[in-house]
Amino acid sequence: MTQGSGARARTRWLLRFVILFWLAAHGKAKALPDLGPPVKTDQVRSGSLLVKTDKAGVFLPAPALETDVAIRVTGIVARTRVRQRFANAAGDCVEGVYVFPLPEGSAVDHMRLRIGDRVIDGQVREREEAKKVYEQAKSEGKKASLLEQERPNIFTASVASIGANEEVEIEIEYQETLRFDAGKFHLRFPMVVAPRYTPGGTVLASADTGGGSGALAVNPGMGWAPNTDRVPDASRITTAVLRPGETRVNPIRLRVELLPGVKLRKLESVTHALRVDAAEASYAVSLADQTLAADRDFELQWEPDLGSRPRPALFGETRDGQIYALLVVMPPEATSVPAARLPRETIFIIDTSGSMYGTSIDQARRALLFALDRLAPEDRFNVIEFNSIMKRLYTESRRALPDSVAEAKAWVGKLQAGGGTEMLPALAAAFEGAESGSEVRQIVFMTDGGVGNEQELFGYIRKHLGRSRLFTVGIGSAPNSHFMTKAAEFGRGTFTYVGSVSEVQEKMGGLFRKLENPVLTDLRIDWDDATVEAWPAKIPDLYAGEPVVIAARLSNPRGGATVTGQRGGESWSERVTMALSTDERGTDRLWARRKIGSLMDRIGEGADREKVKRDVIEVAVAHHLVSDFTSLVAVDLTPTLAQGTVCTPKAVPVHLPAGWDYGHVFGEIPQTATPGPLYILIGAACAAVAIALRALSSGARS
Amino acid sequence: MKSRKALGLASWASVVTALFLFGQSAWIYGKARVAQVLLRRAWTGTVRGGKEVKPWPWADTWPVARLSVPSSRQDFIVLAGASGRTLAFGPGHLDGSAQPGEDGNCVLSAHRDTQFEFLRRLDVGDALELETRDGRRLRYRIFERRVTQKSDTSVLARTAEPTLTLVSCYPFDAIAPGGPLRYVVRAQLMQSRGVRSRVAAPRAATETPSPSGRGAG
Repeated sequence: MTQGSGARARTRWLLRFVILFWLAAHGKAKALPDLGPPVKTDQVRSGSLLVKTDKAGVFLPAPALETDVAIRVTGIVARTRVRQRFANAAGDCVEGVYVFPLPEGSAVDHMRLRIGDRVIDGQVREREEAKKVYEQAKSEGKKASLLEQERPNIFTASVASIGANEEVEIEIEYQETLRFDAGKFHLRFPMVVAPRYTPGGTVLASADTGGGSGALAVNPGMGWAPNTDRVPDASRITTAVLRPGETRVNPIRLRVELLPGVKLRKLESVTHALRVDAAEASYAVSLADQTLAADRDFELQWEPDLGSRPRPALFGETRDGQIYALLVVMPPEATSVPAARLPRETIFIIDTSGSMYGTSIDQARRALLFALDRLAPEDRFNVIEFNSIMKRLYTESRRALPDSVAEAKAWVGKLQAGGGTEMLPALAAAFEGAESGSEVRQIVFMTDGGVGNEQELFGYIRKHLGRSRLFTVGIGSAPNSHFMTKAAEFGRGTFTYVGSVSEVQEKMGGLFRKLENPVLTDLRIDWDDATVEAWPAKIPDLYAGEPVVIAARLSNPRGGATVTGQRGGESWSERVTMALSTDERGTDRLWARRKIGSLMDRIGEGADREKVKRDVIEVAVAHHLVSDFTSLVAVDLTPTLAQGTVCTPKAVPVHLPAGWDYGHVFGEIPQTATPGPLYILIGAACAAVAIALRALSSGARS
Repeated sequence: MKSRKALGLASWASVVTALFLFGQSAWIYGKARVAQVLLRRAWTGTVRGGKEVKPWPWADTWPVARLSVPSSRQDFIVLAGASGRTLAFGPGHLDGSAQPGEDGNCVLSAHRDTQFEFLRRLDVGDALELETRDGRRLRYRIFERRVTQKSDTSVLARTAEPTLTLVSCYPFDAIAPGGPLRYVVRAQLMQSRGVRSRVAAPRAATETPSPSGRGAG
C-alpha cells in the first residue's frame, strides 16, 4: 500500500516535470496572441497565385496542353506528327505559348492550325515577317499559330486568341534519319526542355520596354532567366517549370509504326514500358501507360538480325526533276585485331552542377568509375569536375597506376552535385597541354548539357581542340541532345547516352570500344555525277559501329560513289551504286536540313552572318523548312474575337525532367526549424509510457 | 515475476529515452542561447577590427551583422551562411544574397523555434535595426509579411531597393521540422545613421532572380 502511494507520488512528480518542461519550451509562444497566417495556406499551395503583379489577368491559368505523337519509321527514315492541343479553361481569352523540344536533326516542314473541323496550313516565312503576320492576326482577334526555332532542338509554338473555354490544336510534322550505333537503331523523341543554366551578365532590353517593371525589361521572352551577354536569348529558352506540389500534368501519348525493312532480333525501350503488336513486316509500338507526363526523353531501340545490318548504300528518289539521295557510309567492322594499343591520355570531365543532383550524378559517377577501371597502366589520365567552379584531381595527368586509379575512384565516389554549370573553365582545363606531345588524347565529357551558351562552347571547342578528341556522354532523363551531338562533332569524337544506371555498362563499354579501335579518317566521297551537291560538306571521322548518313542532290539517276578513307594507317575504300526508289521519303527535306546545318556552322567559322542568313532562308523557303531564320505561320481568316481584344500571353509550364530536384536547380529557402519540439513531444510520450508502466508494475506488486 | 521484471525494464528504458530526448532538445535550445553570448564577444571584436573574428576556434562561420528589434527587445548576432550547422547558433546570412548594409536584397534566416520565433509577432510598419561590420546602424521598416513555399525563390531575388528579408519556417507551432512552408518578413531601408553614414542610392530597376534562381542547369 505504501509502495503504491509512493509510486503515485512519483508519477505526479514526473508528470509535473514533463508539463513544466513542455511549458518551458513552448509556454512563451502559447501565451502570445496568435496573429494567424497572413495568407491562407490553401492559396499558398498553388504558388503562382502569390506572385505579386499589377497587371490584370495575370492570375489566369496557362492553357492546358496535351500532346499526341505518331511516328512512322521506314528503314532509316522517320516521319513524325506531333499534335499539341491547347485548352483554355479560363473565363477570359489567352495566348498560349509552349516551349518544347524536337530531335536536333529534325527537318520541320509542316504546321497546321486546327479549329474544330477547319484546318489551316502554315506557310514558311522569314522569321521577322512570320512574327509580323502572327501579331497582325492576333490584333485583329483572329486565331493564328506560329512555330519558331530557338535551337535546333528547342521550338516555341504560339497560339493566338484562344477564347474562354476553347480548344485549339496545332499539328507539326518533321522528318529525320535514325541513328545506328553498336548494332542497334535508335529512335529518340524528347518530351521536355530541361532548365538551362545561362551564364553571363544580365542584358537590359531597350529602355522603352522598361516601363517600371523590371521583369519586363530583362525578360523580353517569357522565361525565368534574363537575357545575358553570353546567352542573348536566355529568356526564350528558359520556360516556366512546374513547382513541386503543383498537380498540373502535361500528358503525352506516343505511338510508333515501325517498318524496319529487316528482320529484328530485339525491339525495346529503356526509357518507357511498351506495348508491341507485331505484324508480318511491321510493328505497332505504343506506351504501356497511356497518359504519361511529358518529363523525359523516349528512346526506342531495335536490333536487326546479324545478316541484315546496314551496309554501305545509296538510296535515291526523284523530286522536281532532281535526284535526292542518302548515302550510308558504314565503317568496317571492328572485328580485325586492333593494331598494338597505343598509349593514350584520357581526361574525364564530370558535370556536378545542381541539375545533375539525384539520379543523374549517380549515373555519371558510375559511368566514370567504370571508365577508370578500363584504363591501362601505361595510359595517363586526369579527372575534372565542375559546377560553379572547376576542380581537378591532379594538376597534371598521371599514369593510371593502381594507386592513382584507386585514389581517383575514391575522389569520384565522393562527388556531390550542386551549383551552376560553368563549362568553359572545365573545357579549358581539359584542353590544356594539348599543344605538346603526340599521344592519342581523348576527353570524355559527362554532362546533361543543361546550358544555354552552346554556341560559345562550340566556338571554344573548335578553336582549342588541337590533337584532342572530345567524346560527350549524355546523362539523365532529358539531356540537351543538340549540345551532345554538336560538341562531339566539333570535338571530332562521338556521343553516347546513358539514360539509367542499368545502361552504364553497355553504353560505356560501347564507348570504350570506339576509343580503343582505330578511327576511319580523311573520308572522301567521289561521286560519278559531277553536278552533285552533298551535305554535310565536311565528313566526320567514323568510329567503330557508327555510320554516317550523307544527303546529296544529283541530276544523274544512274551511277554511284566511291568512298575512301584511312584506317589505322591503311587506306580503305568502298564502292556503292544508286538504288532508285519511287517511294516518297522526303529525302529532299533531309538534304535541305543538312545543308542548313552546314551553313549555320559557317557562322561559327567566321563567315558573314548576313550572307549565311540569306542562304539559309533560300534553302528553307524552297523546301518549306523551319530554321533559325524561318518560321511557320498559320492564320485563320475569320476573326473569332472583337478587334483589339488583348489576350494575356501564358507560357505553358513544363515538368522538371524525371529524376531532377527542384531545390537543387532553382535553389530553395533554407530549412529553418529544429527537431527540438519533436524531441520534447516524443520524450513526453516516453515519460508517459514510463509512468504507465510503473503504475502497472506497482499495481501488480500490491 | 518475469513479467514484472520486463515491465520494470521497459519503464526504465522509457525513462532513459525520455531523458535523452529532453537532453537533446535542451542541448538544441541551450546552444542557441549560449552561442549568442559567445558571439556577442566575437562581434565586438569584429566591429572594432573590421575583420572576421571566429567566435570559437573551430567555428566554420563568423559574425557578419547584428540584428535587433527595438519593439520586442530582440538582439541577435547574424552569422555567415545559412547551413543547418550555422543556424544552430544564430540567424544566418544567405550566401549569395546582398551583404548586410549593401544595396540589394539581404536575406537572413533562422529557426522558427529559436531565434526567429519572434517573427510571428512582427507587423507591417515595425522597425528592424541592422548593425553592419563597419559600424553602421541601418533602420528598416517592415512592408510585407507572407507565407510561401520553400521553392518560391522570388523572395530571394535581387531587389532594386535595399531590402532586408527575414525567413523562417512555417507554421511556427509545427512539431516536426522539414515542412514545405516558409514565413517571410520583408523590410525596406528607411535611413542610415552611425559612424559612417551613407544613404544607399536606389539603382536601376534590375530585378533579376538570385544567382541560384538563374538555374543550376
